Amino acid sequence: MAGRIRGAITVALLAAIFIIAFRQTGFSFGALWSGTEDFFRFFGRLVPDWTALPQIWPKLVETIQIAYVATIVGTLIGLPLIFLASANTTINGVTLWVSRTILTILRSIPDLLWAALFVAILGLGSLPGVVALTFFTIGVLAKLGSETVEAADPGPLEALRAAGAGRNRTIIFAVVPQVAATMVSYILYVFEINVRASVVIGLVGAGGIGQLLNTYLSFFDYPGVAALIIVIFGVVLLIDGFSVWARSKLI
Amino acid sequence: MTDTRIPTEIPRAPASVRRNRTLMLIGAGLMAVLFVVAVVTMDLPTWRRFMSGLERNFMPLMRGLVNPETEIFGLAWNAMVETFFMAILGTALGAVLAFPLSFFASGNLLGGTRWALPGKAVLVAIRTFPELVLAIIFVAAAGPGPTAGIMAMGIHSIGYLGKVFSDVVEGIDQGPMEAIRAAGGNQLQTFLYAVVPQVLPEFASHVLYRFEINLRAATVLGMVGAGGIGLPLIQRLQFRRWDEVSMLLLVIVGVIIVVDAVSSRVRSRLV
Amino acid sequence: MTHIQFNDVEVVYKTGLKALKGVTLEVPRGQFTVIVGLSGAGKSTLIRTVNSLVVPTKGSVVVDGVDVTAARGAELRRARSDIGMIFQTFNLVKRSSVLRNVLSGRLGDLPAWKGVLSAFPREDIAYAHECLARVGIPEKAFVRADALSGGQQQRVGIARALAQKPTVMLADEPVASLDPPTSRAVMNDLRRIAREDGITTLVNLHFIDMAREYADRIIGMRDGHVVFDGTPDEATDSAFEDIYGRPLEQKDLRGA
Repeated sequence: MAGRIRGAITVALLAAIFIIAFRQTGFSFGALWSGTEDFFRFFGRLVPDWTALPQIWPKLVETIQIAYVATIVGTLIGLPLIFLASANTTINGVTLWVSRTILTILRSIPDLLWAALFVAILGLGSLPGVVALTFFTIGVLAKLGSETVEAADPGPLEALRAAGAGRNRTIIFAVVPQVAATMVSYILYVFEINVRASVVIGLVGAGGIGQLLNTYLSFFDYPGVAALIIVIFGVVLLIDGFSVWARSKLI
Repeated sequence: MTDTRIPTEIPRAPASVRRNRTLMLIGAGLMAVLFVVAVVTMDLPTWRRFMSGLERNFMPLMRGLVNPETEIFGLAWNAMVETFFMAILGTALGAVLAFPLSFFASGNLLGGTRWALPGKAVLVAIRTFPELVLAIIFVAAAGPGPTAGIMAMGIHSIGYLGKVFSDVVEGIDQGPMEAIRAAGGNQLQTFLYAVVPQVLPEFASHVLYRFEINLRAATVLGMVGAGGIGLPLIQRLQFRRWDEVSMLLLVIVGVIIVVDAVSSRVRSRLV
Repeated sequence: MTHIQFNDVEVVYKTGLKALKGVTLEVPRGQFTVIVGLSGAGKSTLIRTVNSLVVPTKGSVVVDGVDVTAARGAELRRARSDIGMIFQTFNLVKRSSVLRNVLSGRLGDLPAWKGVLSAFPREDIAYAHECLARVGIPEKAFVRADALSGGQQQRVGIARALAQKPTVMLADEPVASLDPPTSRAVMNDLRRIAREDGITTLVNLHFIDMAREYADRIIGMRDGHVVFDGTPDEATDSAFEDIYGRPLEQKDLRGA
């Protein structure tokens, strides 16, 4: 009986949320329908312009570079943070709380927002993109990593403490071997996300292929946009495929 | 107890161990080289330009960050509310459409993995398409506003939700399905009574997780005109009104943290 | 001379549980002591006060003149590096090689930066191989730890403790997860090595026959108190019934 009531309340709540949502955003099924129509009509007009490829290619390389550098730097900075933010490897309660708070904030800011922020601080170009994605990487990696670290077998940790090893040595000998494979898989996953992100951060001026997109859009060069979109699609597909393959080799 | 014996000969590690060690070293070396090449060939600003840009903007940024402009709290809150509901509708749209699609990508329902391949391919294609680009297209096609954002999120979510839904379906216990078939149920009954009850809690959990991600996405879609807090945010960023940026950021981060926390709680009760 | 001294040691856990209630003992150098008692009697807690994995809420433990209870930081680590410990669940790093596990015993004596970089000096690596040889499994050095049988894993645990060049050895139910013949073999190794190197050893066991067979001295605990302290000859069946507070059962014997 109680289950039914709870079920009914949930449904009512959800219904209320949806009604408010529709009002607030001005969305309606009519809008959905006409939007879909417009979308397909628009798509029909897009014939890719392949002569744009020589322009696209260097920007593509730049995009991957940004993602690569950001992933590596973010990993290097994030790794020690992971251990500080995990209950079983941290120094003390204060460190734990501070690291966890920092990481929560880092994680709550979307990647594009990081990019826009750093473009405003550092100007246009690839540098703000790299810095932005580095911060983003730290946030995402540290959360995934600390969950794994905290789930590690505590036995070897106890054994090494008993043998007189200090905190850092204990981490390297007792924790790292346990979590290494999973961590590499996370790093690959973050690289994948970073490539997707660096594709679009150019839209706010942070370098990479997104900048081209901006240019084409402002000149209404839709064929160029089409070619670009297809290239982007191909690249993301490749990187995703690579990442999935590499991760399957790890398990 | 000191050990004064001369160390005897140390046994060498077997070939396979040494090979793995060398491979790892080569791999690490390669990555380091690639890293250096990448850094050097990117067009990074010279140190002086970097420092001057930093100087010009860092102090005002810091000052602005610690003095959020409370006057625009109303605006920030309303924009965030719009963003929130955009994410709700986008996620819901994605979930509703992904639900049927996922069954076309589940091997165990179609009678074999190969029948599921076209479905899976469609989902991969949808997933690969960057959401922001989708939003731009929708804005160009259907005009600016939250509708474009909702549709972009909806479609993109189909890719993810379809994949995880089909994973869940493929992982269910075959037992109940067999039992109902054995008792004489048809396809639809098997589906409704054996499949749906098993997958619903996990589906719900994934939908909630997707909502967390979509909320983040919704905050930035406005930057291309697709509604939500993104537009006011990017305007103030471009004009470097740091105190107002700070207020907007506070609202964004605050709402996201709260939503994440609530969502985690609910998800852990579901699965 | 006294190697380990327990001074009125009391341990009260945060939950309010009184694990040890005023234990005073003197352990001379080189003695092989077996501690017996039911689960919850305080055996594990007592052993862990020696290397301060559990810190007494009252009283102190002095090892070789060093008050381990009061020791902190570097001083504590130095003290611990002379005290080896083996565990019921072996506590090896499963994915690392046997050699690496044994070498991790040297971490307490190495400068921190060398430990972090795994820059073990040649003598240490040679010594690790020797320790493996002493427990009878030198050929397993480069095998992954979880590929070994239970008995072999415990031997690696002993080798790791040996690698510390300890003066004290603590063993918390070292053979409880092993079958009877393997338990005998491991206990034989432990005892032989303790004798050869003159290591003061404290072992927790809950098998009566093994206690009598291996101990120089038997300490019986019940409810956080020491209720028996004597030689194996003095540890008659009725003495054990006293320690356990109940009649003896089949499961109290290891058997063949």
